[in-house]
Amino acid sequence: MIGFLYPALLLGLLILPILWWLLRAVPPAPSRRKFPGVRLLIGLKDPESTPQHTPWWLLMLRLLAIAAAILAFAEPVLNPRTDSGGSGRLLVLMDAGWGSADDWADRQHRVDAILAGATRDGRAVSVRLLTEPLPAEGNLRFSAPQDWVPLIAGLMPAAWGPDRLGFAAWLTDNPQDYFETVWLSDGLADDAGLGGVLQGFGAVTVVTSDQNRLALLSAQLEPDGLTVPVLRSGDTGAQTVRLHAIGPAPDGVSQVLWQVEATFAAGEKQTLALFDMPLELRNRITRIEIAGVQSAGAVILADGGLQRRKVALYAPQQLQEGPQLVSPLFYLRKALAPSSELIEAGLDDLLQAAPDVLVFADVARLGRAETERVLEWVNNGGTLLRFAGPRLASGTTALDDIDPLLPVRLRAGGRSLGGAMTWASPKRLRPFPDDGPFAGLAAPDEVEIRAQVLAQPDPDLPGRVMAALEDGTPLVTGIRQGQGRIILFHVTANAEWSSLPLSGLFVDMLTRLSVSSGGGAASVDDLAGQVWMPVTVLNGFGTLQDADNIRGADGDDLASYPRNSDTPPGLYQNGEREVAINLLPTAFSLEPLTGLPFGITRDGFSQGAETPLKPVLLTLAVILLVLDILATLFVSGRLMGTCAVSVLIAGLAMGVSDAQADDASALIAANATVLAYVQTGDARQDAISHAGLYGLSQALTSRTAIEPVDPLPIDLDIDDISLIPFLYWPITELQPTLSLAAVTRVNAYLRNGGMIMFDTRDAHLGQGFGGGSANGLILQRITAQLEIPALAPIEPDHVLTRTFYLLEVFPGRWRDGTVWVEAPTHLTTIEGAPFRNLNDGVTPVVIGGNDWASAWAMSPNGRPMYPVGQGLSGDRQRELALRFGVNLIMYVMTGNYKSDQVHIPALLERLGQ
Amino acid sequence: MSQGQSLRNAAQALAGALPPVLAHAERLAATVAMGVHGRKRAGTGESFWQYRHAMPGDSAANIDWRRSAQGDALFIREREWEAAQTVAFWCDASKSMDYQGKGASLTKAMRAQVLTLALASLLTRAGERVALLETRAQAAGVGETKLQQMALALHEADFNDDYGTIPLPTARVAGHRVFLSDFMGPEDEIFPALNAHADAGGEGCLVQILDPSEETFPFDGRIIFESMGGVVDFETLRAKALRKAYQDRLAERSAKLAEWARRVGWHFTRHRTDESPRAALLWLFMAVGGQK
Repeated sequence: MIGFLYPALLLGLLILPILWWLLRAVPPAPSRRKFPGVRLLIGLKDPESTPQHTPWWLLMLRLLAIAAAILAFAEPVLNPRTDSGGSGRLLVLMDAGWGSADDWADRQHRVDAILAGATRDGRAVSVRLLTEPLPAEGNLRFSAPQDWVPLIAGLMPAAWGPDRLGFAAWLTDNPQDYFETVWLSDGLADDAGLGGVLQGFGAVTVVTSDQNRLALLSAQLEPDGLTVPVLRSGDTGAQTVRLHAIGPAPDGVSQVLWQVEATFAAGEKQTLALFDMPLELRNRITRIEIAGVQSAGAVILADGGLQRRKVALYAPQQLQEGPQLVSPLFYLRKALAPSSELIEAGLDDLLQAAPDVLVFADVARLGRAETERVLEWVNNGGTLLRFAGPRLASGTTALDDIDPLLPVRLRAGGRSLGGAMTWASPKRLRPFPDDGPFAGLAAPDEVEIRAQVLAQPDPDLPGRVMAALEDGTPLVTGIRQGQGRIILFHVTANAEWSSLPLSGLFVDMLTRLSVSSGGGAASVDDLAGQVWMPVTVLNGFGTLQDADNIRGADGDDLASYPRNSDTPPGLYQNGEREVAINLLPTAFSLEPLTGLPFGITRDGFSQGAETPLKPVLLTLAVILLVLDILATLFVSGRLMGTCAVSVLIAGLAMGVSDAQADDASALIAANATVLAYVQTGDARQDAISHAGLYGLSQALTSRTAIEPVDPLPIDLDIDDISLIPFLYWPITELQPTLSLAAVTRVNAYLRNGGMIMFDTRDAHLGQGFGGGSANGLILQRITAQLEIPALAPIEPDHVLTRTFYLLEVFPGRWRDGTVWVEAPTHLTTIEGAPFRNLNDGVTPVVIGGNDWASAWAMSPNGRPMYPVGQGLSGDRQRELALRFGVNLIMYVMTGNYKSDQVHIPALLERLGQ
Repeated sequence: MSQGQSLRNAAQALAGALPPVLAHAERLAATVAMGVHGRKRAGTGESFWQYRHAMPGDSAANIDWRRSAQGDALFIREREWEAAQTVAFWCDASKSMDYQGKGASLTKAMRAQVLTLALASLLTRAGERVALLETRAQAAGVGETKLQQMALALHEADFNDDYGTIPLPTARVAGHRVFLSDFMGPEDEIFPALNAHADAGGEGCLVQILDPSEETFPFDGRIIFESMGGVVDFETLRAKALRKAYQDRLAERSAKLAEWARRVGWHFTRHRTDESPRAALLWLFMAVGGQK
């Protein structure tokens, strides 16, 4: 549905026919021009894209652009909001829980629109959030919509869910007069009867978003990593969400430490995301969130429960091979191994491993140096957990000798209970004090203490007792030491002195002491019976804020769901322990809103939003005008349309055309003898090379049996040169260094019998090639990557001097440059004649600077193109240059055959015999 | 009185116009250094050219017995060809040649006339006979008077036809022929005439003289092109779009002429009026001289 703010402007559309007529104006009259070449023109057709009139599609384009502009200024609005027409009181009810947070702005806009409509209609409005506490008085507060408008921008979603049940009950208890309701729901969970109750007061419209809600459940520590269940509210086919694990970097700044993707298969509403990250990183995680979703439901907070602590076990003098079950460490290992990294080694190594917790099982007394080291480690935040035992019991000494690694002073000897020689029965545990770390744990009856070490009575002693026996003697004592703690269990860590290690309580106590971690969210048992103070809490958008004005929460409340304003998700603290309280319980599923009674109007956000179409139309108009410009240029030929298109096509089909170029030259080289030259990028030099090789080809054709076809230009980056017998490579100032592919190609070419003639074209004005001339330096740069053999100036007996003509000099356009070829390496003499047997007798490179191509250069009508020398001697020089070219190509083609000709007389002589 | 008056007027006009053309041609000719008079090829002449082995078919009278007596082989003494040759010019005098495009400094006809006279001047100095076809100077002649006569004939060019028609060979036209034209006329007139010349024997040169604008085709927009005589016209809506096709056709025409020349052993070159006439003159002189 489209409405216009200024429909009068639409009259402007009437000018379109006039524009049509104007734009179709006849093109300007032709000019007459005398031109002798007119006969050549006759019969030529104007290209079809050249119209006599502006082509209809171009006209269409222009008219569309203008129409779009006119429509745009008439300010069309898609889905113009017509929330009006109602009368009476209007209740705007917002769920405003975490489920509404992600599209909170849309909701605010919607409320604004509703308020605007109500203002027009003069209705009284009440805006109510279901996450607020219930109204204290018995009536909903209805007032003018203008009163609500300033408040809307300040509304915030809460980090817990809407209390529909409570509001429904309140409405039932406090009957109201007739009012209409617009309920902006988050679209989750059951309506708890609220829909029916609201319908009792008047018409109800429920506005829900069709967006999927996403939520995270508490993370679990699994053997292969950290798993996070991800929920969604609706099945919208396969869907992938990205999860970020966020924690402090080493510099303390929070950053994304890890990211994983979780994929819902079609039909799945829950999936698991697995963070298989290094332990050190994982222990730093403070929160995990779904990227791009702003909602408290899409955030889980991590506490110590997600950390695997490094626990060092130390029990000295384990030399004797005792039975496993009486080992002082056996039960500790069993209790800690599932949730901690255990290390056992000598004390030095343990301290160097920087453990979180150091466990001493029956260690008597350390030496002074070791004591200081352990104490320093404790001061820096380590937890020293000690267990008593025979050695500790016997190691205690004088009254004034205080072991700094013990929380209390011990009496020597300890005591035994319930043995054959004592009359006292084994003692049980006294219930744990409420203010201690073990508060809320049940002390089971089956735990019996048969022996213990005793603490010296001390004024400080009561403050250090964490757990005690029935008779009040301390069982667990502890003190803070620096930033760390020292805790002593007055019994052994094995079952020798008590049945405590056999009980489940042992594991719970270790958990409470943060020695082990629970491997997941804090359980009910962890929380029960304690009051937890919130440190930071989440707001509805999933960001943490300080919990300044929030009361401490009872552990039992924290353990129960759903959350409410008393127990917002966040980090809570009790004494030493900090737990993360998350929004959702460990087992949960997101369900779409159900239970609405029949007769309720349902509405959505997306199709409901008022969308002004002006920007879209204006953009369209601009795009059309740009298209028009391009099209006009194209039609008039000023746009190199075909060129651009061909460039585009060439770009698209780059690989194909490369291969084709390759094939084309390779095909020529395969089918015929062809001389080739390297394209230097300097068009003039390329033309010279081409003309030179053309001239040489002509000379070869007329004088020898070699009949080359038109010379090939070679681009070393693209073309295949393997089939080319001879490559002329002039050096120019601007030649780039070869690409890797080209170097590989050229080296393979040289290895497999190709020949390259490098021509610096400067007559070696510097000394030697590369000695000083600019081109020589460039030659050095280019050939540095190539496999050029050792070179020597061409010798008078070189086979090049006699492959076709007998030559003594090798002039090109210049005369005196030295020509370099591969140095003779295996020069042997057979019957007095030098015999070259290197590389099949053919040098892979000829290097010179005589500018041969210019001397060979021949125009298509057979005339030399560049002057050589002076007068007749110049003609002679040109002829010698051509002869050298003929010799060179002969040499390339025949290889060592010509060099073997030297021995023909000897061979004939032998044959004769 | 009127007759004498008009004659005098014409003579004055002639005297006014002639010297620049001829002077220009003479100046141009002077830049080509004259060396030997000989044709540098075997022919009928006085001076010795070369000995060669006698081949079957050679007349016994030609054998140089003195040279042959020195060995077993028979030799023939060849003399340098020094016979004066007739070089017949045809300088296209159609309206088509009377074209000067924008930016060009002279018409094609002017360039053709200068080249004709300059070459004729060079040849005259070398003792050759020159003739200007299809004018009153078409009888072969020699010397300065002939040159003057040619200059007059050229000056009288009337530029009547739309396109030049190559004169058919007659018995009087023999020897070397030099045709200077734009060869823009209809193909089915040009080549039959050329073929007739080729059939008549002898060598020749074709110089296609073009205006720069004829090569670059710098036109755009809606244009009606007319031939110089207005006989043929052609309308285009967007001249620029035809440039490539036109240039292709022009290149094709040149290539055809060049190919034809190559086939029958004539010489062909293309000359643009914005180029220096010296190159063309040098080429012509070499071509007529038989040097490649």
